[in-house]
Amino acid sequence: MLFNSLHFLVFFPVVLGLYFGLPQRWRAPLLLVASYYFYLSWKPLYGLLLAATTLLDYYSGVRMSRLATEAQRRPWLYLSLASNLGTLFIFKYFNFFREAAVELATALHLPLGVPTLALVLPVGVSFYTFQSVAYIVDVYKGRLAAEQHLGRFALFVAFWPQLVAGPIERGGQMLPQLRERHQFDYGRAASGLRLMAWGMFKKVVIADRLALLANPVFDHPHRFEGLPLLLAILAFTGQIYADFSGYTDLARGAARVLGYQLVLNFRQPYLATSVGDFWRRWHMSLSGWFRDYVYIPLGGSRRGAARTQLNVFLVFLLSGLWHGASWTFIVWGALHGTYLVLESLTAPGRTTLAQQLGLATRPLLLRALGMACTLALVAYAWIFFRANSLSDAFYIGTHVFQGWGRLPTAQLPGALAGLGRHFVAELLVAGGAVALLAASDYRAERGSVAVWLASWPAAGRWAGYLSLLLATLYFGIFGSSQFIYFQF
Amino acid sequence: MLKLLLRLGLLLGAAGLLGGLGIALGLRRGYVDAFYARFTAPPAGSLVLGTSRAAQGIEPSVLAARLSGRYAGPWLNYAFTLAESPYGPGYLSSIRRKLAPGTRHGLFVLAVDPWSLSLPNNVQHDKSEHDYKAQIINKLCGRNVFPEEKSMVSQLASVSQNPNLDYLAHYLHKPFYQLLLNADTAHVIERLHPDGWLEIALPPPTADTALLRRRTAEKLVTYRQLAASSQLAQARLFFLQQTINFLKQHGQVVLVRLPTGSAMALLEQQYQPGFDRLMRQTGVPYLNYLHLPYPTNDGNHITRLAARQLSVRLAADIARLPAQP
Repeated sequence: MLFNSLHFLVFFPVVLGLYFGLPQRWRAPLLLVASYYFYLSWKPLYGLLLAATTLLDYYSGVRMSRLATEAQRRPWLYLSLASNLGTLFIFKYFNFFREAAVELATALHLPLGVPTLALVLPVGVSFYTFQSVAYIVDVYKGRLAAEQHLGRFALFVAFWPQLVAGPIERGGQMLPQLRERHQFDYGRAASGLRLMAWGMFKKVVIADRLALLANPVFDHPHRFEGLPLLLAILAFTGQIYADFSGYTDLARGAARVLGYQLVLNFRQPYLATSVGDFWRRWHMSLSGWFRDYVYIPLGGSRRGAARTQLNVFLVFLLSGLWHGASWTFIVWGALHGTYLVLESLTAPGRTTLAQQLGLATRPLLLRALGMACTLALVAYAWIFFRANSLSDAFYIGTHVFQGWGRLPTAQLPGALAGLGRHFVAELLVAGGAVALLAASDYRAERGSVAVWLASWPAAGRWAGYLSLLLATLYFGIFGSSQFIYFQF
Repeated sequence: MLKLLLRLGLLLGAAGLLGGLGIALGLRRGYVDAFYARFTAPPAGSLVLGTSRAAQGIEPSVLAARLSGRYAGPWLNYAFTLAESPYGPGYLSSIRRKLAPGTRHGLFVLAVDPWSLSLPNNVQHDKSEHDYKAQIINKLCGRNVFPEEKSMVSQLASVSQNPNLDYLAHYLHKPFYQLLLNADTAHVIERLHPDGWLEIALPPPTADTALLRRRTAEKLVTYRQLAASSQLAQARLFFLQQTINFLKQHGQVVLVRLPTGSAMALLEQQYQPGFDRLMRQTGVPYLNYLHLPYPTNDGNHITRLAARQLSVRLAADIARLPAQP
């Protein structure tokens, strides 16, 4: 079920009404049923997969809780990891690695007859398996008490607002909330609904509109060079942020209305002043997961400078692979890993340069420069994330710098074709909406937007809410696209 | 909670009222898109069916003017696109919904070509046609045997409702504000007539221009790729026959192969040389106009003037057909 569908417009009020209408003891079972309904409405059979991995993780957790040492708990850890990562491998990576192996075998003139698996990738599998892995590792390490209640554990894995695209929750954060009694709270519910409305605006007005600009170019990049390519890259840079943070706002808002607090996933990432800073602001629940369950176990920064850089690079390589079984995602991850390694290695030199240029005494200018450079690097990396193939990505990555001498280019109408006949109006709407998002992020950087909104006179606030709803209705693009991160 | 519901009701009510008024105003001004009017038209007694070639190539009002004494009305072109309305279970269900109940003497012109009866190579099409178990497994795994199963034509439950809110909410791929913008000039290039005919009004002359050559070349590339990745499918032929059998209960069925560009016709012949023979085995009249030299807009779809001429000829040919038992 998509958050931007009529199905959800019925589902959410029904669940909400039942949730607060039922006695406390029935609320968690209701949420569990609703969560499975939410998931099963996509592909029923894959609900069994979710249930099976949930059962195994629950049982492994309970068994581990009865064992005293890590050595005793280890077999259960391995069993659970094999189940989760095995599921992920079979559904997401098998065909990719098979193809790579077949290509290698062909090059070496070796016979290799491995069949392709005709499997559809289960929605959200990367998210819920990572959430389960975090839980099981925390129980193994003794950082978290195993959940003894099967229903509560199943709800932790399948909680519908964050099931298909995160945020990736930790047991220590979420399980205590599932044990609490939740009363209806006007302020919290209103704040959740505001967040949902803003998330919906970001998705249907900004992300889906920018997609119309990005898609025609990314789908046929060889027809373009120079400005159209740059426009498409910038459009996708905006699209992916509005799309994914819009989804997260909807998820966090819906959970908040029900009384649950999901972790923050985005903190104005395009205002980051370095790539390292960007990753502390972008998809924070995933970055935190890789930090805690990959980077630190690999040794983190405790084994010398060279090993630290290698660990950083490996983490980003894996992060790229997590996003998709494709060379484009791997290169995207490697590019970010390279950025971070270079950023770390050049830090002293850059500081010296900033002092020599007199920028150290102009912090605002230095910050603006940092933001511009970071945005440029991140946007360039998005080419690999969005391109349909590695060759397309390399073409875009090189040809974006060419053809500028022939401006205004005859290719521009082709690049704008996705916006339809009213492309001037569409450009104005897109520009206005992106400006609103940028202003909101700028305001959030200086303090809570909610607190700022609360300082408005009531009439102004209500006019603002009404305008947001009407803008979503009039300028939204409905009925087509799912969220980008659903594919992961 | 009551406080929230009241405030929310007030806010959503105001937004709904203002939004609804604007959208109603936009709809009143007339033109929505290239499909909408077909889903607001009343149920039809006679239908033109097929893909975009038929949508642009056959004018029901021309047929009606020449044949209305013989066949039931209203007449409607209910053809869409290759992605939306190839012959399959989805299109058949939609046709069932669109046909006026109790129709006895309708005329049903089914435009056919190899593309609308093909499936991608990677679809295990021929197995699941009758296999109930395979259908259930496909459903549970979310595998679509027919790629158009999730499309507008297959999914839309209400096909004769004005305004069609289901369509507006799910399938209108442009924002509502555009309904209020330039409504008078929105159909400069495309115009969907009340009879369902989609008129493409490209600036004349289209023949021998660089633009036409480029469009034709692009179209051929697309269809060559389609030929390489598809095959004529028993499952689609089965549903074509099902469609024919259903419509025969309500009147006369005629299969038509529409004219197209010469290069496209050649590609089709290479792709499916035995196609005409297959169509003659369906048990209904088959009119083959493939090689008639009508001008096209893009090497595939005939021009609006050619559509009118073809519709006149089609009406004359149908009038000469013996009455179907």
